[in-house]
Amino acid sequence: MSAPTANPELVVDGFPSRRPRWVEIATSADHKDVGRLLITGALGFLFIAMVELLLMRLQLAVPENGFLSPVTFNRMLSLYGATAIFLFALPLALGFFYYVAPLQIGARGTALPRLGQLGAWLFVAGATVLYAGFLFTPTEAGINPFAPLSSLAFLPNNGVDAWAAAAGLATLGFVLVSIDLVATLRRRRAPGMAWRRLPVFSWAAAICSWLLLVIGPVMLAAITMLLIDRNFEGIFLAGDAGGSPLLWQHLSWIFFTGAYMLILIFALGAIAEIVPTFSRKPLFNRGAVIGSLVAIAVLGTLAWMQNMFTAPIALGWMYFAMIMSLALIVPFGLVFFNLIATLAGGTISMRAPLLFAAAAIAAISIGLAAELEHSMVAVGWRLQHTTDSTAATHFALVGGAVFGGFAALHWWFPKMTGRTMGETLARFSFWTMLLGTLLAFVPLALAGTYDGQVVDAYKFFDGTGVNAYNLIATIGAFVLAAGILMTLVNAILSRESGAPAGPDAWGADSLEWFALSPPEPHNFDVLPDVRSARPLRDIREAIARRGGAGERPRARESQPVA
Amino acid sequence: MAPHSPGTDQIDTLLWIGFVAAAIVVVAVVGGLLYVLRRYGAERGAEPRQLTGGRGIQLRVGAALGAFAALILVLSIVYTGKAQETPATGAAGLQASSSAPLKIMATGQQWLWRYDYPNEAFSYYKLVVPVDTAVELDLVSTDVVHTWDVPDLAGKRDAVPGKTNHVVFSADEEGTYFGQAATLSGQAYAPMRTEVEVVSPQRYEAFVEAQKKDIQEAQDRVVGLIENGETP
Repeated sequence: MSAPTANPELVVDGFPSRRPRWVEIATSADHKDVGRLLITGALGFLFIAMVELLLMRLQLAVPENGFLSPVTFNRMLSLYGATAIFLFALPLALGFFYYVAPLQIGARGTALPRLGQLGAWLFVAGATVLYAGFLFTPTEAGINPFAPLSSLAFLPNNGVDAWAAAAGLATLGFVLVSIDLVATLRRRRAPGMAWRRLPVFSWAAAICSWLLLVIGPVMLAAITMLLIDRNFEGIFLAGDAGGSPLLWQHLSWIFFTGAYMLILIFALGAIAEIVPTFSRKPLFNRGAVIGSLVAIAVLGTLAWMQNMFTAPIALGWMYFAMIMSLALIVPFGLVFFNLIATLAGGTISMRAPLLFAAAAIAAISIGLAAELEHSMVAVGWRLQHTTDSTAATHFALVGGAVFGGFAALHWWFPKMTGRTMGETLARFSFWTMLLGTLLAFVPLALAGTYDGQVVDAYKFFDGTGVNAYNLIATIGAFVLAAGILMTLVNAILSRESGAPAGPDAWGADSLEWFALSPPEPHNFDVLPDVRSARPLRDIREAIARRGGAGERPRARESQPVA
Repeated sequence: MAPHSPGTDQIDTLLWIGFVAAAIVVVAVVGGLLYVLRRYGAERGAEPRQLTGGRGIQLRVGAALGAFAALILVLSIVYTGKAQETPATGAAGLQASSSAPLKIMATGQQWLWRYDYPNEAFSYYKLVVPVDTAVELDLVSTDVVHTWDVPDLAGKRDAVPGKTNHVVFSADEEGTYFGQAATLSGQAYAPMRTEVEVVSPQRYEAFVEAQKKDIQEAQDRVVGLIENGETP
């Protein structure tokens, strides 16, 4: 624990630790330590995913390139997918939820801390298993390892088993963290913190936890079937013996589609905290935003068959998926409308978190607009499995997990470390990433739409009209990676040398800013009495009324009776 | 790419509708965002009015979004319905297929397409079909999932082991159309391409007959060699 310099009235918070820091972190069940483990791990895997993406883009820079062999390319592709989803986006979202939500609801800890700790370490175990695959042979089965390509007959080495074990361990870990979050949000809210006053990000945490409780076990079931098929002569996913390869597609798409929605809900939840603070206005309509996030989780997951328009399923199922996808226009549109309406009429200060949040909104809207096209069944027959779907997914998920994740990182970094991330480097990083995202994914969208370039291929052919698109996309990927690297470097440097931040770094309304930066193990000395959806603003106003105008609330001050 | 079949005509039209819808979404969100950021980004000092929106405006915005979604849904169902209809064989087409479409079996295997014609002739890689004729491909797979994708002629469909999928099209012009497999199927997935050669009905019939004869001769030769005790 760092010394709480802002509060000289209390000097000793605990006994000095006799164990090294890493032992403390490894054995701690404190939700802040576990959350930081998940976030740090996720950002590390963002770097690794980026390296894999760059290797693939180098291979695809020029037609019929021989930089990577087909097998190496397929391994990079498979590892990239698993890393980006299971080891970066999901743990990043859950890490922020797990760190922030208990603070936001005024809890002194989580309800089932050891369960959350076990979850985080299962994520570490999953990551270890996936990359231990390099000791033998990593999987070649692709981002979503379709049966029967993932079966023993076609990929007899243990790569697919390593993928399945890794994805299974990580998913199980996420489910355990979710159980702790659900229990904490149910049982550990501060006095007066009714559901209607819960910050939007904590609502997002509740929604995403419930979502993971639904989709996590579906993925675990699918992975179990895959492992039984591969190792114990099962026939769940075999086409000719009573099972069906389509079973894998249904189950895995339920999970991946739900995870996609989870990442967007995480980003929108964080943005809904950032936008009101930097425009100095309350969220335009909290109820509509929260209700929309719930609808996104339900409708989005029900649209899983949107990924199966080319599969041999009945047209009625495709229409069902299309109706669910198109229904998503309403909740997503309402969230965007309320975020923009919150900015309108405000006093906007363009700090780094708001910059990243604005780019996240823009990128997500572009990605979802493209997904809207893909969900129109006949258009899906044309655009799905082309690089246009790569572009759509990457706009939405780079928007959600990278821009949205970086908005959350800049926003809560002062709370986690007591220091603010460097603003200048953040701006350089932001503009580089924005340029890189457009350069990397707009050409892929054009190549997919107009020239039908297919996904996941280790090479493309000269004379198919996509040479320029792919070269620009490769350059764009490098620019994007440079921008991402700047923020990662910024985070590492700012831990030691960033400008010190007080407890309430941004003048926000929610209770995590009532605790010290970084918070003590027990979070709060005094539990505040919550009277509205903006508890910290109430405290500030009460202090101003008492004569201390303009003064920030001190962390240890209990809420004065208003 | 240009549509050369009634189905891809419909897909192309719906693609444009989708493009317009997507453009509306992007312009509305990104445009609105940039506008408010520019308009209110320069405000300094004063505490803004703590405006929030009531239920009325949310319902109106929600209803407008719902109407937008419903419009896209109706258009999608109309054009999707037309796109998956079996086209009729025209006057210039193969008259034998005027009542029912010409059925050809397309088998995906790592990493090649095999086409089986009604008269038991078959060909690898290249599919030959008559112009202006309704063709129905029965897609099957002998190993992993493959996606048959010739974007000028039809929407893409998966060949999944244990299931049969269908593609219908009717090419309106003679010529060669290229396609590529579109689902990761292993090491040689990227070069797993195909070619559809659209010819006149007379040339189609000549092709399948010649193909059948060649295959028969080759088989007879092999059988003859084996009967003579030689290794083929």
